[in-house]
Amino acid sequence: MPKGAFNGPLERVNDCCWRIPKSYKQGMRVDGLIYADDRLIEQIRHDQAAEQVANVAFLPGIQHASLAMPDIHWGYGFCIGGVCATDPNEGGVISPGGVGYDINCGVRLVRSNLSYQDVKPHLTALVDELFRNVPAGVGRGGKYHFNKKELRRLLSEGAAFLRDRELATDGDLDHTEARGCLADAVPDNVSDRAFERGSSQCGTLGSGNHFMEVQVVEAIFDEAAAQAMGLAKDMVCVMIHSGSRGLGYQVCDDALKKFRGVPEKYGIALPDRQLACAPINSDEGQEYLGAMCAAANYAWCNRQLLMHQARESFQTVFGRTWQQLQMDLVYDVAHNIAKFEEHTTGGTTRKVWVHRKGATRAFPPNHVEVPSMYRGIGQPVIIPGDMGRASWVLVGQSGSMDQTFGTACHGAGRAMSRTAAVKHAQGRRIDKELAAKGIIARAQSWRGLAEEQPDAYKDVNLVVDVVHKANLATKVARMRPIGVVKG
Amino acid sequence: MFETFEHTADLGLRVRATTLENLLEEAGRGLFSMMVTNLDDVRCLQERTYRIEGAAVDYLLFDWLNELLYTFESERLLLAEFKVELEPNGLRATARGEPMDLNRHRMEHEVKAITYHELRVEEVANGWLAELIVDI
Repeated sequence: MPKGAFNGPLERVNDCCWRIPKSYKQGMRVDGLIYADDRLIEQIRHDQAAEQVANVAFLPGIQHASLAMPDIHWGYGFCIGGVCATDPNEGGVISPGGVGYDINCGVRLVRSNLSYQDVKPHLTALVDELFRNVPAGVGRGGKYHFNKKELRRLLSEGAAFLRDRELATDGDLDHTEARGCLADAVPDNVSDRAFERGSSQCGTLGSGNHFMEVQVVEAIFDEAAAQAMGLAKDMVCVMIHSGSRGLGYQVCDDALKKFRGVPEKYGIALPDRQLACAPINSDEGQEYLGAMCAAANYAWCNRQLLMHQARESFQTVFGRTWQQLQMDLVYDVAHNIAKFEEHTTGGTTRKVWVHRKGATRAFPPNHVEVPSMYRGIGQPVIIPGDMGRASWVLVGQSGSMDQTFGTACHGAGRAMSRTAAVKHAQGRRIDKELAAKGIIARAQSWRGLAEEQPDAYKDVNLVVDVVHKANLATKVARMRPIGVVKG
Repeated sequence: MFETFEHTADLGLRVRATTLENLLEEAGRGLFSMMVTNLDDVRCLQERTYRIEGAAVDYLLFDWLNELLYTFESERLLLAEFKVELEPNGLRATARGEPMDLNRHRMEHEVKAITYHELRVEEVANGWLAELIVDI
């Protein structure tokens, strides 16, 4: 791994949690806490991710601790898998790097009434049709074009904008985090460049780790929760992973440029420029928040349009409407976002800005923000793994509110760098290896597939075990991939 | 010359050159080499000009690459040849290339953004060295 191992202190708190004491570095305002078991913590020590957890503890107004989920890996500024909550009334800051370039990158899961046996004879045709119909990869524009006026409405209204155009249903909105819209969005704060990059990319997958997968429910761990979500063993589902595309990247980039010199202006000392931040109650902070919320709304529309195109492909291949195929949205969650939420720390209930950078909200049963049909079981937490092994569906539990500002992991987390993964794939055909396991994979580039091969990721089952054991979110269903579409 | 280096989730770019102008030119090639595998097959049919202000060399490199990325994002223009001239407070440059053609260009990474994480530009014994990490 690059840049060497982390040599700082990691004290065992319990079987699932490790502490970096705030005495480690002068300037840390709180401890760092990493959720991991003995096996995962060994991997985590291999790069500088834990150092980044310590660096985030420098942010003014940070509450409780700088947190990291078990899928933590080295990012830029914030680690991936990081969680940080700041209180505006204690000088708390907002950090665009704590959300990331891909604002509201997230995942959605769509079910169907098809079983694996129904799909198996048509699997290649289905994956080819998805690959043809869903724009993926570098520089491929989408089929939906929005002029500036339309895009302004989309940024303000989120997924409801698409419902009014019959590209989304009320049911889709009900099953989307925040109903696919953050009300604090301010399209005026989004630059012309961001509008330009966003005009033809809504409904496109992108590249990197984004994907669309056809999956089968392999095992059920919580019958009641699975039933509430309409999931059953052998059911074919579609999982979609993408974010706010060029519009979101540009919003983050614009903010970081504007934030040059801002930490100094407010007397904030930082160990890494990529952690640039501004007080929430400052003009700079407010401007970013308005733009960030607008980009989040764009991302929900992107995943909605990706789902719409997946439904179209199923209709083409199976000759029935998506309603007849009962292709209903199970849930859509963001995993790169900052949200203003009520949490209790140190006996005090307050509203804080929770930054989740590669981390998923995991609210427990009876939480007011969990939609009514899931109120009894908790919020669905969708965890993509890798394209060869498994993905998971969990439900949020009360432990998340007590420990992690209502948060769980977001994926498996990378174990290999992209360069190492490509070396590891030399002379191999990842698509043929997957085919031998019954998985049909289509990608725009060999390298993309090599970088995203299963071995490049940690074992998602180990990550989910920690989250389950720590009672942040508990297991509902394990999914196995059978079809993969990549950029 | 340029090379990529390891970063867990993203990609690093390391550039060496004898002059700062050449460093900036090579960094442009390095950026596009991450996006298109066969950069040498990109023909120089169109030209774009740039003017970037700023005194700090690290931000100058950052802003330059950011502008090039924006050209690709907004016009789908792949750039392969760069000419940079330094000015008292910034740079002037031209970049040449052609529109992306998926039949001829093997596209690889979508570069989401240039990051500030461990961004450095330094004068070293025999010229200049730059390192930066791009978000993939």
